[in-house]
Amino acid sequence: MKLAFCLTRDAIDAPLDQRFGRAEFYGIVDSETGAFEAFENSAKHASGGAGSKAVQQLVDKGVEAVIAPEVGPQALDALNAFSITAFRQGGCTTVQKALDAFKAGTLEKVEKPGNKGLHRA
Amino acid sequence: MTIAILSGKGGTGKTTLSTNLAGVADNAVLIDCDVEEPNAHLFFRPKLTATKALEVRYPEIDNDLCTHCRKCAEFCRFHAIIAGPKVTLVLKELCHDCGGCFAVCPSGAVSFGSRTIGAIHTCEILDGKTLVYGVLDTGELSGVKIIDEVKHMVEDAPLVLIDSPPGTSCSAVAAVEGADYAVIVSEPTPFGVSDMKMVVELLRTMDIPFGVVVNKSGIGDREIYDYCESEGLTILGEIPFDRDLARGYAEGTPACTMSESYRDMFYGIWTVILDAAEETVNGRS
Repeated sequence: MKLAFCLTRDAIDAPLDQRFGRAEFYGIVDSETGAFEAFENSAKHASGGAGSKAVQQLVDKGVEAVIAPEVGPQALDALNAFSITAFRQGGCTTVQKALDAFKAGTLEKVEKPGNKGLHRA
Repeated sequence: MTIAILSGKGGTGKTTLSTNLAGVADNAVLIDCDVEEPNAHLFFRPKLTATKALEVRYPEIDNDLCTHCRKCAEFCRFHAIIAGPKVTLVLKELCHDCGGCFAVCPSGAVSFGSRTIGAIHTCEILDGKTLVYGVLDTGELSGVKIIDEVKHMVEDAPLVLIDSPPGTSCSAVAAVEGADYAVIVSEPTPFGVSDMKMVVELLRTMDIPFGVVVNKSGIGDREIYDYCESEGLTILGEIPFDRDLARGYAEGTPACTMSESYRDMFYGIWTVILDAAEETVNGRS
């Protein structure tokens, strides 16, 4: 299963980013093989629609779940449409900690968007 | 003649000047294009004569016809379409209704739905004058379509005064586009001057002639005067920093209806603006 993370740097030991749509980098881990890749988020400087552009990048990578600090309403609808499950990273600060929590089933699934989505009052 | 009033910084006096010019200028039609927060109507006791909803289109994609070629998603600079291998998804709130997705789709999968993003109100103010103002619904991204429609509705009027949005974003550009002349209202403060410089750049880029009205004159510093002098900008008038003016504004009363002296002051500013505008327009034609 391909899992996406929001990263502050282009490295597996980078601290997790506290933003989803405007994260600096995304990291993708294959939970079966442990393979890791990271890439720069092309949406981080978008003037609007960053969440949507972020989802496009994850769709293009064939991601099945994303672990994020929070997901806005537009992005959550889009993730659902592409059958990508979103989880809150909660207090996890690194990919390893979040991956362990995911495998242990202790991450909270995002059912309702955070109240930070600006484009839907 | 269409004259746009704008400022850069918010709160420098666009609405003060617009409403008072509308009060003293013969045959003026006032349009409030600050659709995110229209307020000109608060200064009159407007008699509402018509309201219409403003609808915009958004794409609907027929997933039976769609080949998921990604062309529409790649075209859309507002990221309103996400292309996946089996699903092409529209986020209609992000759509700016440009029609580009329809134009680039090779398989005829794009049609349009429509949704309401705001309303336009037409009212009678003062002694038979007209005010038209747009209201963008809360949470909507862009008021440009509303602004364009408000301007279209009054395009046959002989004299239109535009109360523009603050800033220099798309909505400010839409409000001043096509104006014969513009008036920048600024205040003698560092923030007022700083934001005014962006508006000067905007108007020069758009090739719209303009002059400056200094509001709240008497406070702050001399920077605005030095800047206008160094840039060769005409100061068309000054509105003093005045407690009674502020009180009238807070009560929602146009100053020109409060006393003869305020009326005379705004009439004086108006004649200078109109002369400058006519001179420039005639000089260009």
